[in-house]
Amino acid sequence: MALTVPQRPPVSPWPFVKLKLRLIASGLRGRPARIVLFVLGVVMAGFFAIGGYAVFAVPGVVDDDRVAGMLLQLGGSALVVGWVVLPLLFFGVDESLDPARFALLPLPRRTLILGMFTAALAGLPALSTLAATLGMVSTAADLGGAGAGFAQLAGVIGGLLTCVALSRAVTSAFATGLRSRRSRDLAVVLFAVVAALLGPLQLALLAGAERADWDAFAVLGDVLGWTPLAAGWSVGLDVADGRLWAVPLKLLIVAGTLAGLLWWWSATLESAMVGAASSGSSGRTGAGDVGSPTGLLLGRRLPRTRFGALVAREVRYWWRETRRRAALITFTVAGFFLPLSITVNGGSAGPAAAFVGLIAVIALANQFGYEGNAYAANMIIGVPGRTEIHSRAAAHALFALPLLLLIAIAAGVTGGRAEHIPGDLGLMIATYGAGLGLVLPVSVRAAFALPPSTSPFAMSSGGGMAKGLLTVAVMLGIVIATAPLQILAFLLGDIWLWIGLPVGVAFAGAAYLIGSGVAGDSLDRRMPEVLAAVTPGR
Amino acid sequence: MTVPAPREGEQAAAMSLYGLVKRFDTKLAVSEVSLEVPAGSFYGLLGPNGAGKTTTLSMAVGLLRPDAGRAFLLGYDVWADPAAAKARLGVLPDGVRLFDRLTGPELLAYHGLLRGMDAATVDQRSRELLDVLELGIGNRTMVVDYSAGMRKKIGLACALLHAPRLLVLDEPFEAVDPVSAARIREILQRYVAGGGTVIFSSHVMEVVERLCSHVAIISDGVLRRHGTLASVRGDRSLEEVFVQVVGGRVSTGSELAWL
Repeated sequence: MALTVPQRPPVSPWPFVKLKLRLIASGLRGRPARIVLFVLGVVMAGFFAIGGYAVFAVPGVVDDDRVAGMLLQLGGSALVVGWVVLPLLFFGVDESLDPARFALLPLPRRTLILGMFTAALAGLPALSTLAATLGMVSTAADLGGAGAGFAQLAGVIGGLLTCVALSRAVTSAFATGLRSRRSRDLAVVLFAVVAALLGPLQLALLAGAERADWDAFAVLGDVLGWTPLAAGWSVGLDVADGRLWAVPLKLLIVAGTLAGLLWWWSATLESAMVGAASSGSSGRTGAGDVGSPTGLLLGRRLPRTRFGALVAREVRYWWRETRRRAALITFTVAGFFLPLSITVNGGSAGPAAAFVGLIAVIALANQFGYEGNAYAANMIIGVPGRTEIHSRAAAHALFALPLLLLIAIAAGVTGGRAEHIPGDLGLMIATYGAGLGLVLPVSVRAAFALPPSTSPFAMSSGGGMAKGLLTVAVMLGIVIATAPLQILAFLLGDIWLWIGLPVGVAFAGAAYLIGSGVAGDSLDRRMPEVLAAVTPGR
Repeated sequence: MTVPAPREGEQAAAMSLYGLVKRFDTKLAVSEVSLEVPAGSFYGLLGPNGAGKTTTLSMAVGLLRPDAGRAFLLGYDVWADPAAAKARLGVLPDGVRLFDRLTGPELLAYHGLLRGMDAATVDQRSRELLDVLELGIGNRTMVVDYSAGMRKKIGLACALLHAPRLLVLDEPFEAVDPVSAARIREILQRYVAGGGTVIFSSHVMEVVERLCSHVAIISDGVLRRHGTLASVRGDRSLEEVFVQVVGGRVSTGSELAWL
């Protein structure tokens, strides 16, 4: 028998969409926590959709085409930028359709790209963006009638496709560029810096907006309207203003951009499909015996004990594990910027100081998730819960406390209020201690798994949501717990300058003792459950 | 069902499992597994993929809480008196990450100090283990950059470091190259000859047949056969017994004719 010619592979993108939906469904089955997160995600997407629709529809209702020009073009550009930045920084990329999994199937590149693109469109973010931008159609229809509305509808769809294509292409390019572990580690650090600088940038922009005249923004919007960022979002307005000649040109810009992005994506996809090759970093084997194994682990000063080993491993991890290092860097940048931005303007650093202590501690909220089920090693040896908790807190404090001291000094000196340094430091330490007291039990009760992905930005579906919710809840708790101290500092005025530091330290110590005790005992009872919770893919 | 009470103070069994049960969602992963591992034995736990080997061993060493049943290591109840049981135990888990952002020597030092050993002993034994397993004493590569086989070897070194009385190894030969596998076999045989007990899981018949004094066959979460190698094998080959017990298909010769 002759071999039969293999069938032509199907070219429809629908199997990809079905596969994605099925993956989402089976990810939810039998997991109430995931379902809750998913529903929350739907609700938030719904809010975004409705809110966005309302905002974009306003200019049409009030019949102001200048506002419409600014809002649609600037807002649309912001949407596009958001589609690139947000997945990289916060939510991670949904890797349910990981191109590497299709590597062995005989799929033409075109089918694969089309399929993955369509699957990306069939998600909450794309749907809610579409719903929100439909507000632009309403505005265009109000301003220029049905014709403008139809043109805008085409533009909005083009804009949405641009958003999704750009987002996928950029993340795919990153995955390609980040093949080796070292470059991935570096990229995470860079992104942490950028993310930490977003806050300052935002404030600067707001300050600029207060001063700038609106005409400049209108001009900026019209210029953006001729770039891929906002070409799609503005066609309806062009019809309304009678610039019919602009419509085909802008649609051409959108189509060209889309084609270019898809081509870029397909070019980087191949290497993404090969996956992160274990780049043979051969290591400096046999480079001579440098110190004893215990010396390598502990350095010179840490005690040669169980506690010393635990602290040393944690310290190494805060430096060597990318997610932890990113958290430390974010804390450093934000910690210095927040109080400084206030004191430079002559304000009091007090509340901001408390906030710094709070950011410091957030990184511990899912501390067991960082190293995944490697925690099993400590369980097999039988490390008592309190020893585990104390060592982890101690290692974090080794980084956090010196930073808090530096921040307090920097804030006091730049604000010309050196006498406030001890009081502010006391507030920071009090928040840090109260934060530890709250976060340590949370880290035992609410640990969740982070995916061991090839991409540093990957989050399991719903993982981004869990992270965000946990952070908000913990922050609220800490604010409430330290509110009495804040009020006390405010009421006491100058007396606080004297008693702030000792009171803060005492408050922190008490909160830490209670929290670490609760966390340690709870860990003793829940070790297997914690391990199961941080094991990915269960 | 009644669980037989453990006999107090008896040291004949290095590991005793009584009616262990584990359920994941709706799937019964391990169903009432009871097993005695005699001290000084080289025990092979055989089973196809997904049979429940890892789940059983995880419950036996205190990593996974059983839904029912009890586990004793060297006479100590793992879930009632974990500290005593774990102190005499070395484990190489499968599918579990190591603290892989440490280098090999750092990882060994970490394990040694966590076991409460003094620094000089840790250093001396770590150097020997790194040398014997050919991992490089001065190797500054982080474990995350190790190959799969090297990871198995550093994991084994961590399990051996405190000279435990009982070794529980989950798939110790997977992804290990033949030369290293021979070295590991040799180390384990010497360890058993010196009075230690090894229980390891595998689905490679040849390794089990060559090494083990006892075998147990598990499939679909149920313990199908157990005992000395001779009694389980009878006069057939272990593979024949295994395929028959596990219920693999017997080829009729007519399938896949188009191939």
